[in-house]
Amino acid sequence: MTRGGFLKWLIGGLSVVALGGIVYPILRFLKPPTVSTATIGQVVNIGPLSSFPAGRLTAATVNARPVIVTNAAGKIVVYSAICTHLGCVVAPSGSELHCPCHGSVFSAAGTVVHGPASLPLPFYSSKVSGGSVLVGPVTFTRASYPTWYKGQFA
Amino acid sequence: MSVDDSATQRGDVTQGDVGQDAPTHGRMPGALAWVTNRLGMEELMEDQYNRIVPIHATNYIYCFGGIAFVLFIILAITGILMAVYYQPTPEGAYQSVLNISTTVQFGWWIRSIHKWAATGMVLLVVVHMGRVFFTGAYKRPRELNWVSGVFLLMLTLGFGFTGYLLPWDQRAYWATKVGTDIAGSTPLIGHFLLVSLRGGENISGATLGRFYDLHVLVLPVVIVLFLGAHFWMIRRHGISGKL
Repeated sequence: MTRGGFLKWLIGGLSVVALGGIVYPILRFLKPPTVSTATIGQVVNIGPLSSFPAGRLTAATVNARPVIVTNAAGKIVVYSAICTHLGCVVAPSGSELHCPCHGSVFSAAGTVVHGPASLPLPFYSSKVSGGSVLVGPVTFTRASYPTWYKGQFA
Repeated sequence: MSVDDSATQRGDVTQGDVGQDAPTHGRMPGALAWVTNRLGMEELMEDQYNRIVPIHATNYIYCFGGIAFVLFIILAITGILMAVYYQPTPEGAYQSVLNISTTVQFGWWIRSIHKWAATGMVLLVVVHMGRVFFTGAYKRPRELNWVSGVFLLMLTLGFGFTGYLLPWDQRAYWATKVGTDIAGSTPLIGHFLLVSLRGGENISGATLGRFYDLHVLVLPVVIVLFLGAHFWMIRRHGISGKL
């Protein structure tokens, strides 16, 4: 191969790579974002009732998503620990939930105590069966949950 | 097929025998040369290829207008792509922009390029105008090209002003409030301008619809016409002389 021929191939190849670097993201952009529903409907056993003491806020995991389990005299309520403001994980602090990122505070019932978050934490359906806590799909009670937030549960 | 045969018989193709190499063929790939030959465009292509760039115009300061045009092409492509997901309604606009930036694959990339290319285009158009001014390139016979350039500057700023509202966030809302208030302070026709821009007394979904229409339909058509005139005049006049 001559030097000229080699350079011609080199420039051609680099041009194709450069063009691919533009075309590939555009094709990916045009592909509709798929929201997988495979894991949303599953019912997950998150452990025995005894591991969620009454009157306490306990952090747990459902389908690799952080949740908060509340036990009010045997009545189990589970809601997402993903802050509705910008998606950080809230942590139990006494009888409240504090977001470490921007200071949103949620009550033990998942409602907003003060912002910047404006929407309550969404609930998971849950029940106690055979001494174990079973957690089902998350429900968004309001239509105003943004797309990116719902995407956290896909 | 008999298409080229009949064309030759009618004498529509003026280049002589089909298939005969015109001087430009050596520089064009086979397929392009074939098309050029069949369309009888050799003379036109030859004219376009044989422009000599004056040595004083090889300076980088002569690149600003061209860079602004490249940015325009980038803005057109990324803008068309974002229009796939953008929803110009007061309920859907902000969510659809968030969707582009957070959910759509490479959406953040396309949107960021659009934003930065837009910022850069305003900058480059102004710098290009400065170059034309300081090299005296607006002087006779190029006055009309300067005028078309001023229109292009205004159109570019119009794109910026209308595009700024589309994310429909607080910054967009208040910037448009201030901008349309300024239009409203025009003597005599101020109020007419204000309600025409806003589609009412206040900024609402009607304003968003109007700005979206201007941004993706009206301004693109008008700027392409002015760009065509601008470039055609560059070819007519040639590059301006030395300082």
